[in-house]
Amino acid sequence: MDVSQYLEIFLDETNEHLQNLNTQILELESDPENMDNINEIFRAAHSLKGMAGTMGYKRMQNLTHDMENVFSEVRNGNIKVKPEMIDVLFQCLDALEEYKNNIQETSDEGTNDNENLIKALNDILNDGKTEAPAAKEEAPASAASTAEGGTEGTEKWNDIAFDDSQIRVIREAMKQSKNVYGINVVVQETCILKAARAFLVFKAVEEKGEIIVSMPSAQDVEDEKFDKDFTLIVLSDYSLDEIIKAAESVSEIAQVTGGVLELEKTKNYHSEEETAEPVEEKKEVVAEVKAEPKREEKKTAAAAKAPEKKPANKPVVNRTVRVDIEKLDSLMNLVSELIIAKNSLVAASSNDQGNNTAFNEQIEYLENVTTNLHESVMKVRMVPIESVVVKFPRMIRDLSKKLDKKMELYMTGEETELDRTVVDEIGDPLMHLLRNSADHGLESAEVRAQRGKPEQGSIFLDAYQDGNNVVIEVRDDGNGIDVEAVKNKAIERNLVTAEQAANMPEKDIINLLFLPGFSTSEKVTDVSGRGVGLDVVKSKIESLSGEVEVKSKWGEGSTWTIRLPLTLAIIQALMVVVGGEKYAISLGSIQTIEDISPKDIKLVENKEVIELRGTVIPLIRLIEVLDVESTRSPEDNLIVVIVKKGDKMAGLVIDELIGQQEIVIKSLGKYIKQCKFISGATILGDGEVALILDANALL
Amino acid sequence: MEELSMRETLKAGDERKVEEEFFQYIVIRLGDEQYGIDIRYIDNIVRMQHITRVPKVPAYLKGVINLRGEVLPVMSLRLKMGLEADEMTRATRIIILKQEQQGSVGIIVDEVKEVVTLGTSQIEKMSQNTGEIRKSFITGVGKHNGELISLLDLNSITLEENA
Repeated sequence: MDVSQYLEIFLDETNEHLQNLNTQILELESDPENMDNINEIFRAAHSLKGMAGTMGYKRMQNLTHDMENVFSEVRNGNIKVKPEMIDVLFQCLDALEEYKNNIQETSDEGTNDNENLIKALNDILNDGKTEAPAAKEEAPASAASTAEGGTEGTEKWNDIAFDDSQIRVIREAMKQSKNVYGINVVVQETCILKAARAFLVFKAVEEKGEIIVSMPSAQDVEDEKFDKDFTLIVLSDYSLDEIIKAAESVSEIAQVTGGVLELEKTKNYHSEEETAEPVEEKKEVVAEVKAEPKREEKKTAAAAKAPEKKPANKPVVNRTVRVDIEKLDSLMNLVSELIIAKNSLVAASSNDQGNNTAFNEQIEYLENVTTNLHESVMKVRMVPIESVVVKFPRMIRDLSKKLDKKMELYMTGEETELDRTVVDEIGDPLMHLLRNSADHGLESAEVRAQRGKPEQGSIFLDAYQDGNNVVIEVRDDGNGIDVEAVKNKAIERNLVTAEQAANMPEKDIINLLFLPGFSTSEKVTDVSGRGVGLDVVKSKIESLSGEVEVKSKWGEGSTWTIRLPLTLAIIQALMVVVGGEKYAISLGSIQTIEDISPKDIKLVENKEVIELRGTVIPLIRLIEVLDVESTRSPEDNLIVVIVKKGDKMAGLVIDELIGQQEIVIKSLGKYIKQCKFISGATILGDGEVALILDANALL
Repeated sequence: MEELSMRETLKAGDERKVEEEFFQYIVIRLGDEQYGIDIRYIDNIVRMQHITRVPKVPAYLKGVINLRGEVLPVMSLRLKMGLEADEMTRATRIIILKQEQQGSVGIIVDEVKEVVTLGTSQIEKMSQNTGEIRKSFITGVGKHNGELISLLDLNSITLEENA
């Protein structure tokens, strides 16, 4: 079968599953008893195995198969999670990652059989069996069959989590001396129409009794959302053998096993219900009697509905569609066009001055729709940074082992959203900063003890939105940057002279770390190598029109702050007039708009400032910046737009206010890039081009 | 006999064709002079329209225009070539040149006249040693119907900014 067309999907999903496994195993390490985790891991491994098998990647399939076996035993309680096991599992994930990369590059999985890993997994399996043979009588048998043919645990019905109503139904049936059986049906591996076979089994069994529960749910079975077996709980007057025979009569069924269901053995069985039982029972009997005739009619319906009610064991899967980013780009462009057209209409209607209210209403409606449409399209492009940062805990764990330092990564704000293109790019710089923190930032255990710090170092990754920016901070409680060492290194490398260095403020010295040549320096005492590739970090972030900053205190740690724009192609802006020309200023950076009398302007160091509510704010006369003549006389009050960047503020003096408008940012092209404070242009409703002032660059 | 000679001339013609290539040029007027622009680089010719000035750029960059939703920079060919400033008339046009590397750019010309086809034999390459600035914008001179057409070197016009 030609599967190349599915390769992309396969890779995407493999990525997801691997990531999921990484996260879950990491959690498992700290909480080995967590059943949810184990189930989740089992499922991910299982899906991986299935996918690899379908695509014909045998080695990958073998490895995942053995991993799955281990998880299956863990799930059955036959093996306890141990640190060594976690290590082996992580190695397996790395091996799978390697397969994946091979496939990505050559669409072949490579020739590495990873026999040592498979052996390690089997050792775990064998250990588990010898150590906990009493945990469950069938365990060895089930493990054996798992290893051989892939048929899994025979008493699967005991894994079904019944909800209360189902338990009641079962109890009721038992009272009426009906037999309650658990049936496990295994479909032949070669079977093509699994769903059809399963349907026939359902039908055959229903002739002999009533199916009250099925796992996976009847709906899922119908949609072929099961691997090769499914489990039924059947109420029947017939003997077990007859039911099994009925099920086996369907062709392409490999194996049907069954047994009498004992509620005590099932997963969700609570003994405390026993006490509540007598009270409930009376009500139930009444209810049952009434319900009885109906139930007979609705056999199939009940079978289909009942499983839906049971607490979903599966994670809620988001219904998603994978879309090529280029399609989104073109969608975005269309929305931009639409907004420009809408602006033209608005302009035309306001010129008209006619009292055509119906027309105006429609325009307002259109405005509403385009704004919402734009927001939705923007949101489609936004993805949480989680997809990038989620791999960091694993990385820190590995680093911790490798460097033999105890450390923990604390992350907040993983849900912060950024444009997809930015998220794709931000991973490497962040990884770099984290490595830096782990390797060079955090001190060795002895030094930490001397400094009275806890033995375990902490690294923080915080992301949050700040106005039109997203800020990502990487912080550690380690050594901090040794400014003297950096200074000496810089002098040594002839980046600065000794004199210059002596006069440089600390901040500037730290910024030397971002210089390209600086990175290759090998030994800077105990901050050795600090700066390796920091120039790459900086240039990467700047290519995303972001900034990176570092603050550090010797002995207490450092904070790296990355500030990124939300990359909104469409923004809300304030339209102003300066010297007869129209300009747009992003609303995000504007604090207030003030009316200032010329008398209130004071001079500080020969620069104009105003005092506003206790703050001294420098004035920037845009007519000077933009080389135009003001249209206002000097005696008039000034219109001042107060803008803010970080903790810096400035007042931009303009001639006239037009108002707020939604604008589409267009690039000025490569010809006009010298202009630092013009961040782009936009097309106004009348077709004219207005430039966008970058208030940040003016500050 | 005649047929044969015909065939021979055809053959000869074919051979000559390999040497002689034909290019189409759009002839524009700048002051009193005529210039030719290789048609392969022309995306569009539009009428003069409002140009939004961009501050802090060289004088020959007149600003940006809106061409069907795209913002394009526009330069004055006159200023770039050291002539006096443009006088906007009804004949003034903006020629949009497509450029692989820098994106499109518009140039202002006094008038667009016609399209001519010139063979390599009709084009005289310019020698590079003439001192005048304007010469550096010209790759050669074409002869057409007894008139001279200076062929513009678009690369040196649009390539920036070392000046």
